[in-house]
Amino acid sequence: MKNKIIKFWAIVLIAIVSIFIICTKPTKLGLDLAGGSRLVLEAQTTKAIPQITDDVMNTLQFSIENRVNKLGVSETIVQRVGENRLMVEIPGETDLQKAKMYIGETAQLEFKKPGGTDKDGNRIWLDADLTGRDLTKSQLTTDQSGQWVVSLEFNSEGSKKFAELTKSLVGQEMAIFFNGDLQSAPRVNEPIYGGHAQITGGGDSGFSMEEAQEMVNLLNAGALPVPAKIVEENTVGATLGADSIAKSKFAGILGLGLVMVFMIIMYRAPGVIADIALILYSLMLFALFKAIPVTLTLAGIAGFILSIGMAVDANILIFERMKEELRAGRNLFTAINSGFDRAWASILDSNMTTIIACLILYYFGTSVVKGFALTLAMGVIISMFSAIVITKNFMHLIFGTGELKYPALFGLKTSEIGKAYEATETKRENARFGILD
Amino acid sequence: MAANEITSRSFINITKYKFVWLCVTAILLLPGTLGLIYGAIKNHSPLKVGIDYTGGTILQYGVHENIQNQELATLRTALAKAGIENPNIQIIHANAENQKTNVNLKNIISIRTKFISEDTDTENKITEVIAKAHPNSELMSVTSVGPTLGNELFKKSFTALIVAILGMIIYLTIRFKFTYALAAILGLVHDTLFVCGVFALLGIFFGVEVDSLFITAILTLIGFSINDTIVTFDRIRENLRYYSKKMSFGEIVNASVNQTVSRSINTSLSTLITLLALYFFGGVTTRDFVLAMIVGVIVGTWSSIFFCTVLVSIWEDKDAKKIAKAKEL
Repeated sequence: MKNKIIKFWAIVLIAIVSIFIICTKPTKLGLDLAGGSRLVLEAQTTKAIPQITDDVMNTLQFSIENRVNKLGVSETIVQRVGENRLMVEIPGETDLQKAKMYIGETAQLEFKKPGGTDKDGNRIWLDADLTGRDLTKSQLTTDQSGQWVVSLEFNSEGSKKFAELTKSLVGQEMAIFFNGDLQSAPRVNEPIYGGHAQITGGGDSGFSMEEAQEMVNLLNAGALPVPAKIVEENTVGATLGADSIAKSKFAGILGLGLVMVFMIIMYRAPGVIADIALILYSLMLFALFKAIPVTLTLAGIAGFILSIGMAVDANILIFERMKEELRAGRNLFTAINSGFDRAWASILDSNMTTIIACLILYYFGTSVVKGFALTLAMGVIISMFSAIVITKNFMHLIFGTGELKYPALFGLKTSEIGKAYEATETKRENARFGILD
Repeated sequence: MAANEITSRSFINITKYKFVWLCVTAILLLPGTLGLIYGAIKNHSPLKVGIDYTGGTILQYGVHENIQNQELATLRTALAKAGIENPNIQIIHANAENQKTNVNLKNIISIRTKFISEDTDTENKITEVIAKAHPNSELMSVTSVGPTLGNELFKKSFTALIVAILGMIIYLTIRFKFTYALAAILGLVHDTLFVCGVFALLGIFFGVEVDSLFITAILTLIGFSINDTIVTFDRIRENLRYYSKKMSFGEIVNASVNQTVSRSINTSLSTLITLLALYFFGGVTTRDFVLAMIVGVIVGTWSSIFFCTVLVSIWEDKDAKKIAKAKEL
């Protein structure tokens, strides 16, 4: 008995810790609930880089991370998936169109030299082996006439290359391309040493401030080693997310309430105890979600609510078994114990199968499947704990030593009790002490 | 007599009518299977699959007004004029009113096109068309899946499923016997086939599509159904230990099913209660997912009681007869 009271207080302690965690820790909501975007980018091979290697992916990830951070949104995620893909998550409401352009831009800055004209009279520009990689940084400034310009600072190798290029092009034009578009083609009057240069916008008006600022940001974030194409996009507005949360909450509480009523109708007194165990189960699971933290998505919430139904299962197994034992005329203590003992094999086997399936799905599955498998496995483990430890402990504390005085408490009729008793092989004396054949 | 005790509460006779139960199972499977075959022949895909598996883009707009059905045609022509090819337009009734979160959604217009993620012009054009018809509308969600990715996703989910099933077979063979494991897995195949069949029919008649959440639903119901089956098998195993000398295998199966049937039904009922709450009061986006689960829980209960146990009793009876024959010789 002392042992059981210690267990009881341990359960109370766990409940208090769970409530504390639930109240203090924030829930991590997935993009489908909080609103936000998930993009999957696929690295494209180019002539220069015909194969996507780990190195290329690392550089790509680094530059994409840099760019995403510049968006000024917290908790963005850039993650490698598979061989040649990156997953980018941007929570909260953002200007997606802009974000998409920003992330997808290669930001390839190239200096080119003239190479004559083709037969239609268009100018041909040749590679000069000087690109955005040779920069240390770029800045937004204005020139003498007050126009916005992008000033560039080369690294030591870049400075040398730039000096040589300008030396060879004195009296000619030099072209600056950004993402394949000609920005400007200034005439080179004299060789430029010192490693500084400026890009002015084409046309009369030059750059707008936004245009120039964006170019500066992209240049500073670094060029993408290869172009990246968006192959998957998932954006959910905050309105839809809020609606989903509100509805799921309501449905969850309603579902939980109805299951509790159902348990009381079916199993009476043990039903009440199972309900308490069920509430504790929900608290513990939710606290664990927050503590790890598990990102809660729509599929996750559905899994959570569903697991409530499944958590009841262990209790139902035990109570059905207990009813049978009571019908067989065993006393309460024996019936409770053998109910738990005999149901244990079923509970273990069925839950182990589910856990095995979850592990495999977690390992092989896609991200949606992964989140679901994790939620379900956690639910199954905690439900085993709740049924075996919590329900059993409460049952013993409340009914532990008593004889079965009111069969109605267990949803049984007095006439049913002991009916099947004579038929069992267990001797009356053995049954009294919980010894089964 | 021991035999009397465990057979005294028989409602269902599994072994006497085993071929009846198998026939009923087959008849129940028939319409859905036909639906799957019809889809496979006509659309080259048994199920109407969403963009998760084919690639494409879905734009969803929240609208605060009621939408008449004839508006669909107007929208379609307007979109065609704007140069959008073959848009698939659906109206989803949301009826969400929530003062706290300031949500007041009457309908969701869902437009499905080919994959347009890179090309923001098309997206803007569609938004313009919708804004003309409903000035207060709001672009709520954009989902885009590239064509190559869709195929890959499907393959990956499928591999995961097959490996998970192998894992379960191994565990069940160790804990029970290979015949039991096989029967349990065939039960899962039955459940999956049934739910897929229902969704094939829903696809044919109501245009319902399956997405990646559908795979999750199938996975959940597999977990649920195997639970049910194992509890019944466990009872057979236990009863075999105590009564195998006094009763035939068929009688034991019968008794075990009857002992576990109320537990099976009660568990399914409590799960159904939560699912129904989710279906009627949960979000619009998960409604099909929940529907798949509801169908799955019901057929899962059926298959554990009337399909898996029948298979086991047929196979094990044969084994027992073989052993008996061998002994006679």
